[in-house]
Amino acid sequence: MAHSPFDIELDDMTLARAKRGNVDACETIFRKFQQPAFSVAFRICQCRETAQEVSQEAFITAFRKLRQFRGDSPFWGWLRRVVVNHAISQLRKSPKADPVELQDYHGKAEATSDRVGMAMDLESALAALQPEDRAIVWLHDVEGYNHREIAGLFGKTESFSKTRLSRARDRLKDLLEAGPALKYAQDATAR
Amino acid sequence: MNFSKVHMMHKERDPLNLRSLPLVEPLEDGWPEIKNSLLQENRRQRILRLAGGSLAAAAVITLSVSLFVQQPSPSPQQQSPLQSATQSIPATATLDSLIALSQQLESGIRSYRAEVGGMPTDSLIYQVEIEDLIAQVDDELSVRPDSTQLWSQRVNLLLDLSQLYENQLRRDYHRMASL
Repeated sequence: MAHSPFDIELDDMTLARAKRGNVDACETIFRKFQQPAFSVAFRICQCRETAQEVSQEAFITAFRKLRQFRGDSPFWGWLRRVVVNHAISQLRKSPKADPVELQDYHGKAEATSDRVGMAMDLESALAALQPEDRAIVWLHDVEGYNHREIAGLFGKTESFSKTRLSRARDRLKDLLEAGPALKYAQDATAR
Repeated sequence: MNFSKVHMMHKERDPLNLRSLPLVEPLEDGWPEIKNSLLQENRRQRILRLAGGSLAAAAVITLSVSLFVQQPSPSPQQQSPLQSATQSIPATATLDSLIALSQQLESGIRSYRAEVGGMPTDSLIYQVEIEDLIAQVDDELSVRPDSTQLWSQRVNLLLDLSQLYENQLRRDYHRMASL
């Protein structure tokens, strides 16, 4: 099974120091996990400002509750749960986030233009999904959540998660097939 | 597991290859804000611990005095030297009374919760902190249920929480009276 972007090693010493409230250790943790935390918050909320707020609040909560982390599962999984919970609760408060703008996308410098083009299609297609569908497809396909976990997050049944995942994938496929037309429509809207 | 099997599993899990999307860069460095919040939190915790220690001591003294006053004195004929010695040990009695006081305070706090409307943000932060500390003490109590020290801490935190609700009720009352 492929790893979640959160799956980053953290040494026991840093964790123990952070648990005792050491601010430097907390900063080390923040620096390691800042980007995956922001990314997952952005994929769920689809708004950079909201993702910034959500990830910061999630880190504050995580550091405050760090003593409750018992170490019986990997730390990254625990931290990811805190971030995802914050993002989902934000999603509940404002389910209609602004759609992403294409210029927000920053591809890696070494990426080929084809890969950037494909990624932009995927970005556009994801942005066009309904917020809950987008969150579900991301949590399942990228973060590796199972249907039971997703159902728990949304307070719904597993069949809700399965139905929404299937719907989201179908919609994404349709949107990717209509890729160039979609981009043209978004560019026209931006103008 | 060979490469093609792994590839098939990935394809099944992520048929649209969403994992190919790169991580998104945060808008700004969020650390300074988080650091401020952590430093404030550390300061509050220190104050709470200091205040907690003195309140716990006060609570234990009050309890010991009230237990001493309430305890029926046995008649001299019934009192054996052994009984006399054990009755002078306050540890067991203090533990039981701390547990009883903890229950009373819990019940009082439940009533307060029903009466108090919304808490202002500063009180809310304080309330959440106290509740977090109570949860930590409860965790430790699950391992050492007979620790008088832990029960004292719990009582002390419940007293703090109770005080917080009383203050809020007083504020609510004054606001209503001024209307």
